[in-house]
Amino acid sequence: MTLLLQELVVGLSTGAIYALIALGYTMVYGIIELINFAHGDVFMIGSLISIAIFGVFGINAASQPQGLALVGLMLVACLGSMLFCALLGVVIERIAYRPLRNAPRLAPLITAIGVSLILEDIGKLWKGVSNVSFPQIFPSTTYYIGDVSISSVNILVFVVAVVLMIALQLFVSRTRTGRAMRAVAQDREAAALMGVNVDRIISITFFIGSGLAGAAGFIYGLQYGSTIFSIGLYLGLIAFTAAVLGGIGNLVGAMLGGILIGLIEAFATLIPSSILPHGGAPWHDAIIFAVLILILVFRPSGLLGQQTPEKV
Amino acid sequence: MSMQISSRILRLPGDTRQLLVKWGVALLVPIVMFTFAWSGETIVNQVILGLLSPASSNYDTPSLIQAAIFILVLYATVLALSGYLVAADSGRRKTLSLWLDILVFVIVPLFLVITNGLILGMAFAAIIWVLFFVVRNRVFHAKPSAAPTSVESLMLSDVEQKSLLMSRAIAAGFWFATVFAVISLVVDLIFFFTGQLPPVLLIWVVVRTLLLPVAGYFLGRLGGLIALRRVISNQQNGNSEEVGGVDKEKQLQVLSTTRLAEEARDIVPNDLPLRSRGAQRFYLILLAAFVLFYPVLDPFLFGSGTAGRLSGYGDAGYYVILALGLNIVVGFAGLLDLGYVAFFAIGSYVWGIFGSNQFNILTGIAINPQVLSALFWPMVIVTAMIAALFGVLLGAPTLRLRGDYLAIVTLGFGEIVPIVFLELDKYTNGANGIVGVRSPAFPGVEWSTFTPVPFYYLILVLIALVIFANIRLRDSRLGRAWVAIREDEIAAASSGVNLVQTKLFAFASGAFFAGVAGAYHAAKLGGVSPDLFSFGDSVIYLAMVVIGGIGSIPGVIVGALVVYSINEFILAQLDTLAVDPSSIIHPIYNAIVQVVPGFTFGNIRNLVFGIVLVTVMIFRPEGLIPSARRRRELHHTAADGAEMGSLDPPSGSSDMEAEMHVE
Repeated sequence: MTLLLQELVVGLSTGAIYALIALGYTMVYGIIELINFAHGDVFMIGSLISIAIFGVFGINAASQPQGLALVGLMLVACLGSMLFCALLGVVIERIAYRPLRNAPRLAPLITAIGVSLILEDIGKLWKGVSNVSFPQIFPSTTYYIGDVSISSVNILVFVVAVVLMIALQLFVSRTRTGRAMRAVAQDREAAALMGVNVDRIISITFFIGSGLAGAAGFIYGLQYGSTIFSIGLYLGLIAFTAAVLGGIGNLVGAMLGGILIGLIEAFATLIPSSILPHGGAPWHDAIIFAVLILILVFRPSGLLGQQTPEKV
Repeated sequence: MSMQISSRILRLPGDTRQLLVKWGVALLVPIVMFTFAWSGETIVNQVILGLLSPASSNYDTPSLIQAAIFILVLYATVLALSGYLVAADSGRRKTLSLWLDILVFVIVPLFLVITNGLILGMAFAAIIWVLFFVVRNRVFHAKPSAAPTSVESLMLSDVEQKSLLMSRAIAAGFWFATVFAVISLVVDLIFFFTGQLPPVLLIWVVVRTLLLPVAGYFLGRLGGLIALRRVISNQQNGNSEEVGGVDKEKQLQVLSTTRLAEEARDIVPNDLPLRSRGAQRFYLILLAAFVLFYPVLDPFLFGSGTAGRLSGYGDAGYYVILALGLNIVVGFAGLLDLGYVAFFAIGSYVWGIFGSNQFNILTGIAINPQVLSALFWPMVIVTAMIAALFGVLLGAPTLRLRGDYLAIVTLGFGEIVPIVFLELDKYTNGANGIVGVRSPAFPGVEWSTFTPVPFYYLILVLIALVIFANIRLRDSRLGRAWVAIREDEIAAASSGVNLVQTKLFAFASGAFFAGVAGAYHAAKLGGVSPDLFSFGDSVIYLAMVVIGGIGSIPGVIVGALVVYSINEFILAQLDTLAVDPSSIIHPIYNAIVQVVPGFTFGNIRNLVFGIVLVTVMIFRPEGLIPSARRRRELHHTAADGAEMGSLDPPSGSSDMEAEMHVE
């Protein structure tokens, strides 16, 4: 039981990160029906940028800033990473997707893969091929509830992710721009006729989605203490699975899917080696992708998505 | 409006002598370059010396005979080509622009290949081509574009004109051969008097000098005949041919400009004889002879290191098969498969397990190694069938999905399969992989992982079979159903195409060819391990198809070779050059390392492919060598001519647009 609860804690905090990334996928897909393959790599760039911002302030793995300095640093790193990624997302959309807005569907998908490869190698050239350590400036305290340990970092990660998700939800449902986004997602041409600047809205979508990936990059670093150039593709796939699980195009679904995938991954490690050779841990990717395939086969619209009939 | 046929179908005999000079120079320079600056002369001399006294030769008789056949085919084809081109030339293309093209597309690459080796030379040539196209397009756009002059109607060739063309072809073959013979004679005499030519060969020099003009006469005639087979005739004596000619003329007149340009490639005389279908047959003969006899020619052409190069080309071969297989799924049927590597992995593991000790360990059945090697042949089919079965297994539940979901599911499958092979170490030996996989056996051939030549021929045969199967599939009812699905699923279904079955066939055929490639790969490498199969590989296979031209069989073959060269060869070669202080790359490399420590060219593989994928999709979505259908879809007006020998007027002029609407 303790073990289960312990994995629940782990699952919730990784799930929160997945959910943040999944939001970017689902927003872009909702608006232009494109699987933005590069999104995972934007997240990776975000975590590298956070390290670089710490570097600017002379923070390294050994630094232990206190009080206001700590809060300020974290805010600067997080917002800086978000801003950079948001702009990166807009630039990517401008260069690689906008020229292909009216091309066959395969075309932007292929450029998305291309952009993903480019970003991956930029990360590799910038920080090398091995793990890069992320300064652990947030004081780590472990709390116990019964026998279950919860670290302060886990709580922070979860709180940041939830705050951002609530902010996004409010933005989309309450603001004028959010309404325009929903309109474009529903029917691009009708929205344009109603005076919505579609290109601008798509840019804003990329801005927000990539910004969330930047935040995810930051809290991922806090949570795991290191990052690597190849993480983007891998986490991106998992996050995409989360988005599909929740019902792609649906914001609440993406959050739910992210948390669920985090939990599945955490509980998968509990599978004993009598069922799978070497136990569940080395198989967790395979399990996640198997879940993805099963969802797509049996409920392609995901948990919260609506069935959309094919348009003629 | 009166129907105007664009400038591409033309006629009007120019001056024969001018034509002879034009094509004579265009063909002579490269062939003389090949003969005397490179290895043509050496091969001939070695062959003759070797056959006269086999004991003293460095080469064994069979390879000398092969080299001799190649040389004969080469020179004969060039002579016949000279006749064909002169007969097929409409005289519209200006001499200087032709020579410029020959310089850029033949002479410069030849020079670069001689100096840098095949792959690197072609890579440099490709860079020059791109620059050339950019400059040429700039020049075209800078010029006030005069609309291409239109021909009022098709001019039909009558008997008189045919005989004129024929006499030109014969004259071309004869004079071309004669001039070449004289040049060779002079050069050989110089060699002889400077003591570089053994006196024995003087007899050969005399024979050759006498023989060449005669051969030129007949081969020129042959070239002319080939050219005239495709002439539109207009005979006045009322027989069936007249009807045919007029029909053809009418047919052509109702075509759109783009279709007309395609059809016109078959017509003689031709605006662009170098690109006409007849000329393409000659190139195919040359290419086939080169590829077939390559293992023998390699030491003559590129010196030592033949085994390593051949082994590399053997690897390039399975890239070609994978590209052709993936092309069925992505190109014909339009289903984006991002996990293609899974089927390749399955193929590799099937032969890997069966063709090694692993089978004995797993089942306790011991098979005599010789028998096991011979079992490779049936097992290729079995392996491919197993891969195809997995294609169906994956496809059956997922094919109802929309395109991009399907991409993700296949991606997931591609990730799962290597994990399964890694973790099921009881059967697959886990991360260590399987070693000691046997090579195939063939009577009279010494075959192991250290003999690249049998593998080279094996992959040639496999590629030939796969290309044949691909062409047949493409042109079959099934192939048309695939294309219909790609273009519009709902319309296809409404027209009676069974979506699920057709898509399953696409998946199964794609997987089948991946299985073939996998079996070959395991046998050639002599082992398999799970880290050979990753998402990155799937992306590389996709890049081959996209770069070459989605749906185009020659395109994806070229795409596979280009990607192989970049991936396995050019980046590594650049790294070697970068640390060599005397190379031109060195300062560039140093400058980059100043900014980006830890930079190597091998490190930016994905960056290169990423940039290529994005630029190709945005600027040339139809790929390097597009399929005819896609070219028509993407460029309604005339092609923008990124191929050899095109100096078309710039496309999109207003009267062409007008013609489009007439259709």
